[in-house]
Amino acid sequence: MEVNVKPRDGLQLHAFLLIFIVHSTQIGVGLVGLPRIVYLDAGHDGWISVFLAGVLGGVSLWFMVKMLGQYDSADLYGIHADVFGKWIGNFLSLMYMGYLAAAFFVIYINYIEIVQVWIFPNLPTWQLGLVLTLLSAYAVYGGIRVVVGTAFLSVMGTLWMVFVLFVPLKHSEINHIFPILDADIEQILKGAHNSSLSMMGMELVLFVYPYIKEKQKTQIFSQIGNAYTAFIFTLVTFVSIIYYAGGSLEQTIWPVISLFKIVRLPNLERFEIIAVSFWMLIIVPNLCIYLWAASKGFSRIFAGKQKWGLWILVSLIFVSSFFVKARYQMNLISDIIGKFGFYAAVCYPILLYFIVSAKNKYFRGKNNHAKGS
Amino acid sequence: MPKGPKWKTAILMIASTLCLSGCVEARQLEKLGLITAVGYDLDGKNTIKGTVVVHKFDALAKNVTKVISVEAHTSKSLRQKQNLRSDQRLVSGQLRCVVYSKALAKKGIIQLVDTLNRDPNIGNMVYLMISEHDASSIINVGKKNVKLNLGTYLYNLIRQNVESEQMLSPTLQDFNHSYHDNGKDPVLPLLKLENGDVSVAGTALFKDDRLVGILPTNKLFFLKILAEKYKSGTEEFGFNREDFKSILKGNEGRSFRTVYNKLFLEIDNIRSHTKIKLVDKKNVRFRVEIKFASRLLETTEPLELGSAKNVKFIERQIEKKMEKEIHDLLIFFQKKGVDPVGIGNEYIAHIRGKKITPKEWRSIYKNAKFEVRVKNTIVKTGVID
Repeated sequence: MEVNVKPRDGLQLHAFLLIFIVHSTQIGVGLVGLPRIVYLDAGHDGWISVFLAGVLGGVSLWFMVKMLGQYDSADLYGIHADVFGKWIGNFLSLMYMGYLAAAFFVIYINYIEIVQVWIFPNLPTWQLGLVLTLLSAYAVYGGIRVVVGTAFLSVMGTLWMVFVLFVPLKHSEINHIFPILDADIEQILKGAHNSSLSMMGMELVLFVYPYIKEKQKTQIFSQIGNAYTAFIFTLVTFVSIIYYAGGSLEQTIWPVISLFKIVRLPNLERFEIIAVSFWMLIIVPNLCIYLWAASKGFSRIFAGKQKWGLWILVSLIFVSSFFVKARYQMNLISDIIGKFGFYAAVCYPILLYFIVSAKNKYFRGKNNHAKGS
Repeated sequence: MPKGPKWKTAILMIASTLCLSGCVEARQLEKLGLITAVGYDLDGKNTIKGTVVVHKFDALAKNVTKVISVEAHTSKSLRQKQNLRSDQRLVSGQLRCVVYSKALAKKGIIQLVDTLNRDPNIGNMVYLMISEHDASSIINVGKKNVKLNLGTYLYNLIRQNVESEQMLSPTLQDFNHSYHDNGKDPVLPLLKLENGDVSVAGTALFKDDRLVGILPTNKLFFLKILAEKYKSGTEEFGFNREDFKSILKGNEGRSFRTVYNKLFLEIDNIRSHTKIKLVDKKNVRFRVEIKFASRLLETTEPLELGSAKNVKFIERQIEKKMEKEIHDLLIFFQKKGVDPVGIGNEYIAHIRGKKITPKEWRSIYKNAKFEVRVKNTIVKTGVID
């Protein structure tokens, strides 16, 4: 397998699009439940946890881009093959593909559940599932440019939702935030750890990197995307903590959608229905980009066609959704994948960075793929 | 134009997306009965009686609303039973008002509030209220009046009063917030039937989800000052005539009769700003500082308002009166063991390192002390001196 991917000119992207790729992948279905999750761990200091998680994401992102910078134009699959050789490298790549597909799956079932609870209680899972999988498969069919296009549209289309947060702010009680730093470090770190499911997404840089035209700008633009996410997440958590009383935040499964309940327009009584529908616009680029990255693995590892991989994944995910029925099963799956995501998206790239650096330092002569050799 | 096969898949995908999105259940407005108000009563010891007002969209019907009353244990089985009695399917998406009877509220209403929270069809801005007597009697007011949609009527009654700040906002969201807050207790308006009209008769004070006391309407002014940023509301203060002797206008030729035994001043709140400070953590002493800008609306006797000294004098008198009233009110709440002001939140926000449970706060609250300082400025005295 070639370590470096050399896409033709027409497929390359401007570096600033990384802002949209990183941000739209991070913001997703996890945000809807985030304030409650961190509140359960860190109490009213949860917003600090979320901020820390954002910083941690930024650190991990820095290592990723530094690692990618040691190659000409490689993606994670190529790096795996280069560092670990054919067998171990491909095995790790397969694991990572599994993680990407699982991330897709979590987003997918969680969103369907939200729609079922909030809007259509009688809607069978498979109907919306079919729509979502077909939609994302269709986008992936169009290639990386279409996938990034959905990311761009999603960020632009949902920009206004931040301003809606001002409405609950009017009904909030600022005293809830005091005393600041009341929780101990352990609780705050635990909260930061548990918000990783919502923060996942920056690892996609590892896959889109070969497609970036101005590679030296990757660092700055992906960091902007991550910082914007961290800002939004902290803001949402902060507003939720002062808007909800502690007890009710602990009980509310989707605090962010319940936040929208307070908004009331003269001709639209139930704003949260708009919010839930708009959330689809937020998760579609998530689905697309995870599906794209996972199916890309098929063409990279097996030298097969990405198309086949795409359909295999889509049908696997669609079928698996039949096995998840109750809320507690969904919680369990989200928990496992969230935990796994923390290692896969945050810790693993840092580890890999050191391995790659060490390898390039000590085996420079042997490695004819790395830059400068 | 793209190549053939790709084009076909695209069409297939779009078509299936469209078809699937049409799969959800359709609800026609004409076939629905929209519940606009619900009343709950305690019926005997073991059952609750639910009464609903249903709004119909039927051009031919004479009566746009219909009242159905049934008995059950949970509100959702009430709904089922009500559905049996209706020619239209009852839906609760337009629910505006929920009325609980006082007897029921004394036993606790969280079961019935919880089901409102659980149901995604019900908005967060539903008004909750308490009725002095049976909730069904309030709901039944709509029965006599053909044109009246009671749900909307009650809703407007409350909303009008909330918007003109005569009342603390009693939405489901506010109730939830105060109920779950460790350092605050909810309040809801109390309704009464007066000559066949529904009117607001006071504020029901809750300890957790149980009604424990009633605050008369004339004290609400002070509660509002304490509990939130307040920009309106009027209040009358009675004073001994002797205290005001020095600034009474002399009877120069004309005589003003003294109608009442006291001298009354009516003032109007332009803006108030309240700070509750925990000044002594050990002895739990709170200082309530109120900055208050007011307008003199009415005096029952002519006062000399031309000089700054006299206005200052009235300001001081009102301050003293308010300090006493507010202090009395805080003591009243303390005696009842309720905290609608949110003093507990202030306390919890300043205690580090340990989590204070509602129970702990209640026992601390019993021994809390308050000092009240009011700074009143009369900024306007109307168009005449």
